[in-house]
Amino acid sequence: MTAIGTTTAAGAPRLPGWVRYEVTAFAVVTALGLIGYLVFPFDLALLTRIIAVTFLVLSLDLVTGYAGVVTLGQAAIFGVAAYAVGNACLAGITDPVMLLGVGIIAGALMGLVSGVLISRFSALPQLVISIAFGQLVAALANKLAQFTGGSDGLAGFAPSAVLGVFEFDIFGRTSFGFSLVVLAVVLALLLRFVQSPFGLMCRGIRDDALRARMIGTAVYPRLIVMYGVSGAVAGVGGALSAINVGVVSLHSVSFEMSAEALVMLVVGGAGHLLGAVFGSILFQIFGHFVGSTNPFHWMTIVGGTLILITLFAPKGLYSAFASAMAKFRKSRVSQ
Amino acid sequence: MHSLGRILGALVASAVVSVAHADTIKVGVIGPMSGPYALFGQNFKWGIDAWVAENGDTVGDHKVEFIFRDEESPDPAKSKALAQELIVKDRVQYLAGTYFTPNAMAAAPLLAQGKVPLVVMNAATSSIVEKSPYIVRTSFTMWQNTVPAAKVAKDMGSDKVAIAVSDYGPGHDARDAFKATFEEMGGEVVEEVNMPLSTTDFGPIMQRIKDSGADTIFTFLPSGPPTLAFVKAYIDNGLKADGIKLLSTGDVVTEPDLPAIGEAGLGILSTYHYAVSHDSPENAAFLEAMKTVGAKPGEVTMTAVAAYDGARLIYEMIEATDGKQDPDTAIEAVKGMSWASPRGPVSIDPQTRHIKQNVYLREVAKEGDTFINKETQTFEAQPDWGLAE
Repeated sequence: MTAIGTTTAAGAPRLPGWVRYEVTAFAVVTALGLIGYLVFPFDLALLTRIIAVTFLVLSLDLVTGYAGVVTLGQAAIFGVAAYAVGNACLAGITDPVMLLGVGIIAGALMGLVSGVLISRFSALPQLVISIAFGQLVAALANKLAQFTGGSDGLAGFAPSAVLGVFEFDIFGRTSFGFSLVVLAVVLALLLRFVQSPFGLMCRGIRDDALRARMIGTAVYPRLIVMYGVSGAVAGVGGALSAINVGVVSLHSVSFEMSAEALVMLVVGGAGHLLGAVFGSILFQIFGHFVGSTNPFHWMTIVGGTLILITLFAPKGLYSAFASAMAKFRKSRVSQ
Repeated sequence: MHSLGRILGALVASAVVSVAHADTIKVGVIGPMSGPYALFGQNFKWGIDAWVAENGDTVGDHKVEFIFRDEESPDPAKSKALAQELIVKDRVQYLAGTYFTPNAMAAAPLLAQGKVPLVVMNAATSSIVEKSPYIVRTSFTMWQNTVPAAKVAKDMGSDKVAIAVSDYGPGHDARDAFKATFEEMGGEVVEEVNMPLSTTDFGPIMQRIKDSGADTIFTFLPSGPPTLAFVKAYIDNGLKADGIKLLSTGDVVTEPDLPAIGEAGLGILSTYHYAVSHDSPENAAFLEAMKTVGAKPGEVTMTAVAAYDGARLIYEMIEATDGKQDPDTAIEAVKGMSWASPRGPVSIDPQTRHIKQNVYLREVAKEGDTFINKETQTFEAQPDWGLAE
């Protein structure tokens, strides 16, 4: 695939600028967030929700975009982490940072479990196993009502102030600020992670698993580890969702949630972390504004737009954008 | 990266500054306007439109504007964001709607901070009204409608009942309510089946019920294809022929579903708070108003009545506060309020802020070409039994 070539080439003089990319991404996300805060001060709840889902899309990108595992069960990890955080909060752990830790641990464990199951197979069986895994978790969440509240949702928990200072307020300022900082940090770490030897090897496995095996790579264990990391990222999203909303419902473990995340990833561009971020942001903002303008027929409009995007930018908006930029630069140079 | 500046510029330019009109009171309505439950969200809108058509869009000098938002599924994260946006951006003075329980729960913590009362027009889990003192409910709860069903079973002379409910929150509520009431009256529950929500194969379940020796089945399923399959399985497996009676809550036999169930459904007993065929001048006027706002007679459901009555409460609250944002006065004004609703006489219980209403025993019958739920018995002024305990 060309993806490897372009990204490694972009980081070319490697040593001097080895953190440049990460720092830029950190700055861009923070700047985007601040602009969102200033431009849409009354839509912070929406922006916060977008950030939580972005973690789910990022985690999906790690296993699907970077390691080639196709899954429709990723929301199971997100949801279990959210339920774990809700229960921890009810049990008396109300500090948001601690709760974030609970979400990460729960997510990583769930990630390892689903990794063991799902990455054991490839192609269609893999997809089927991932759906079955997701459905199993969703059914359990419905059944174990004493931990999940069943279809009524798990409610009635309230996290305390962030770092003991910032109380959660009705404008959602605290929720937003907290989520944004976590996103910027995690994204910078992930950008580093996917450039690591381990990350590069996962991309090698994605491109040609047989070849990877032939040069002596233990494919299955690597995929499981990747799943663990991905699970931790999904866990961050689940934790933020639970902390910010105060209710966890069956929707967070549902098939729809997994499928939607995959759509966002494909729209944004699988195999690029920034593609995942942009896909998530664009899809949700678009859906929200169309939905507010026309609450009765918005789904039709969203569906039509998705078809257009996949027709004209099959590799995702990020790739389309990147190649358009490259063309633009080239034409400037040649003139 | 230099093109980023351009994108950001465009974002800033597209920012819209909302202007608040001093004398327009906004009401945010959150309901399922798209997706599989769209009919019920549409009924929210029709019910509110019908009230406005009859009573005008002003209260005193204050113009009332309803703003609709879509909750297509039980997704509390989305609903909370919607409620928050309605409160802080659109500056609504009242919230209304919420079809799904988790969505109502998500909005509850915002109400005190935003000084906004919420009129719940569907979400039917008892505990919702306890989540905030600013919640009033005009719909029903599973307990409210199920306790009379257990009484009906006892009155019919049933001793052994098999309970078959869908395996999710409202199903569990229905099961618990029926079992508690029926056993207290000395009845026996001989079989309990929690049916998967999406199954349409009820053959094995019917066999289990048959083997249990029950003389009556109490069931709850959300309306839709499974309902039809359940009734068909009940008949095809010979339970109806054996004289085993079928009793349910009205959710199983909502009017828009009756034509699909067809002749097979004739004689099904259910307990519910509203039948479209309810015989009263208020209901006739309501259905007439529904027609003028575009509702077809076959599409009217209980959510329209809940919305119609909810709009009445909102008008009352606006009048009591003279358009000022004062949730305590507003809620105080509707506590204990009673009126003649299209469903019969109702009142707001001052303790629970849940609606107290008649629950009717109905039987599916055919009147001319249309299937109706014919009311045959009235249980007067039922509270929410789930909270009354």
